[in-house]
Amino acid sequence: MKTHGRIFVSSAAVAIFLMAWQFLPTLGLVDIRYTSQPSSVFKTAINILLNDNLGHHAYVSFMEFIAGFGLAVVIGIPVGIVFGSVKMLRQIVDPPLMALNMMPRLALLPILAVWLGIGMASKIAVVFLGAVMPIIVNTMAGVRETDARLVLAARSFGATHLDIFIRILLPGSLPAVIMGIRLGIGRAILGVVVGEMYVAEAGIGFQIVTYGSSMRIDYLLVYTLLIAGFGYLLTSAARMLENHLSTWRPL
Amino acid sequence: MSPAFLERYRGGFFALFSFLLIGLLWEFAVSANWINPLFVSRPSAVWTQIMAQVSSGELLQNFSISLIEFMIGFGLAMMLGVALGVLAGWFRTVEYALDPFIWFTYAAPLIAFYPLFVANLGLGAPTVIAIAFLFALPAIYANTLSGIQNVDQDMVRMATSFGAGRRDIFLRVALPASMSMVVAGLRLSIGRALTGVVVAEIFGATAGLGYSITYYGQQLQTAQMLVSLLAVVAFGVLLTQTLAAFEARLDWRSAPGT
Amino acid sequence: MAQIEIENLGIRYKKPNSDETFMALSGITHSIEKGLFVTIVGSSGCGKSSLLMAIAGLTPYTSGSVRINGKPVSGPGPERAVIFQDASLLPWRSVLGNVRFAMEMRRWKGEDLTNRAQRYIDSVGLAGFSDYHPHQLSGGMRQRVNIARALSVDPEVLLMDEPFGALDAQTREIMGEELLRIWSRDRKTVLFVTHSIDEAVFLGDQVIVMGKNPGRIKDVIKIDLPRPRTNAILDSDVFTEYRRVIRHHLADDMASLQRLESVA
Repeated sequence: MKTHGRIFVSSAAVAIFLMAWQFLPTLGLVDIRYTSQPSSVFKTAINILLNDNLGHHAYVSFMEFIAGFGLAVVIGIPVGIVFGSVKMLRQIVDPPLMALNMMPRLALLPILAVWLGIGMASKIAVVFLGAVMPIIVNTMAGVRETDARLVLAARSFGATHLDIFIRILLPGSLPAVIMGIRLGIGRAILGVVVGEMYVAEAGIGFQIVTYGSSMRIDYLLVYTLLIAGFGYLLTSAARMLENHLSTWRPL
Repeated sequence: MSPAFLERYRGGFFALFSFLLIGLLWEFAVSANWINPLFVSRPSAVWTQIMAQVSSGELLQNFSISLIEFMIGFGLAMMLGVALGVLAGWFRTVEYALDPFIWFTYAAPLIAFYPLFVANLGLGAPTVIAIAFLFALPAIYANTLSGIQNVDQDMVRMATSFGAGRRDIFLRVALPASMSMVVAGLRLSIGRALTGVVVAEIFGATAGLGYSITYYGQQLQTAQMLVSLLAVVAFGVLLTQTLAAFEARLDWRSAPGT
Repeated sequence: MAQIEIENLGIRYKKPNSDETFMALSGITHSIEKGLFVTIVGSSGCGKSSLLMAIAGLTPYTSGSVRINGKPVSGPGPERAVIFQDASLLPWRSVLGNVRFAMEMRRWKGEDLTNRAQRYIDSVGLAGFSDYHPHQLSGGMRQRVNIARALSVDPEVLLMDEPFGALDAQTREIMGEELLRIWSRDRKTVLFVTHSIDEAVFLGDQVIVMGKNPGRIKDVIKIDLPRPRTNAILDSDVFTEYRRVIRHHLADDMASLQRLESVA
């Protein structure tokens, strides 16, 4: 019952917003060049699907995302595990990691663009840098938080270090790792889009900045919503996985 | 230096040690030609540039511009975020109504709208402030709301047993109890606001630290670029640590039953 | 008319994540005279806390009735105050601020709240601690604040739900004596839930022994020990006899549980 109320109010709010958005420009109260209208956005969406080479741009962006994010996972998780397991290493690495976390990775865009060119490589690099940080930080936290009592109990049964590592630390830190991945998704997507906006030959971000500069707000909105939707799908999937894994976790 | 002094600032010592270590490794790696200095520069060169930019006033100028943009953007986000969070905490309808819009602010790459901002507000500070504001807002709102909603139910029950109505519970229990979560939200949003400032300056400004990073980066003047970059990082870390310390003080006052 | 009259009280709970219900309490009928210190003892799951919550007006009951001074209970009221196991002190307020909280909620008039709060803080043995904050206090001290807070609104009935359950054994004994000392001043009606048989016999004029499946009153035992009581009487023969009787009652529940488990 409560959930129904929630969905109703949220939908009503969006509906009211859409109506205002549609009619305020028609009534001349708002400049349509700046805001567009739901009807145009809808028409443009169809147009994009059919005529705008969406497949190509989406493909480029997606590839950059997968490559960068994949690298971040493949490198970030082992690094996080190593850093998290060795106490001395963790204490030394913590401060620079925290500093790096504070650095907007997107600030490196200009130099990465010069370094790696305007093709996919620079975007993959930005995605990697954006996603790898939360993955490392959360993996470290996951390893560290694995209940020390479980480790102690295992050791009292004569488990070797390798045993403990594989059977307790890895499964124990899995929920935290997934959370790191979920947090990294948002950064990665932002990396692709902003990277392509800065310099690119193709991609969703490229389209965004192209249409944006010519003030085609309707096109801008469709692509922006596409990105938002994609991000939502991925983070929801990650969240479901996280919840599923957390069910056995004692709170 | 007494052992107590060493123990208390242990974290600080480790940080200092680790930065020095990294600095030394970096300098060494570049000297030994393992890494191309063109792309990452070297600590000695960066230090020279820091001195140069400080004495010429360039660093101060860029920093002040970005700082003001950050303060205004973050300040606005803080005021509106907390206000909306409190409203949403009291009126369930407000929470449900705001939900989709907050999600959009979180999920959509807001920087995509910078042409709109530039068209309306022009290149420079107003655009940067607007974008930093939008970057920081959702997290502050979400944490405020969460703090109010996740108040310790035992405390609520206790207040109810003494005849407290919904208003009493909200004003006298939920709001004070949520303080530490609100501050946590502020701390988490610092990074986002900072990113907003820097990214907005890359695209839509003619001055400031982000602009400076772009300017030097494009010319591969890595050392100069790093000065601005380090300034951003230093500022972010300083502010975050200050808030974290404040949060820790609040924690022992807010944590129920400890 | 007794101060608290319970007639055929029943509470039916819905099981979480299912449509099944179960009877937490069934057919509870009892009267409690004013000024009595009544303890309620039983093994876990017998519904003793539910009974207390129903009388407090914090949990709705599904059948029967509870009346206080003739009026049916439909929610919290000024004549009752509850002391929970978790003191639930507001961490951002001092001891004084916390004791004032109850009076503020009850919109207390007629006396300066600070003075009144200070009196009660002194009465529970915490004189000088008014400016301390909860995190600076031990568990026992927090419960004293809890008690002071409850007493400050002058309730006729004190409802206490295992208030010393989270304290260590020594502190528990001390708090027990303290509580009796404080209570003996005004002799309010007290309902005290505990799972400790010793505590129940030591504190009470009357012990309600509860059984479970469903929660019901098995026996009401009048405790004929003279007051004031000190912990020394725990070793007396009379005390031992009361303890034996109650344990016998509760053992039934334990035994049936074991039988169930061996069959399953």
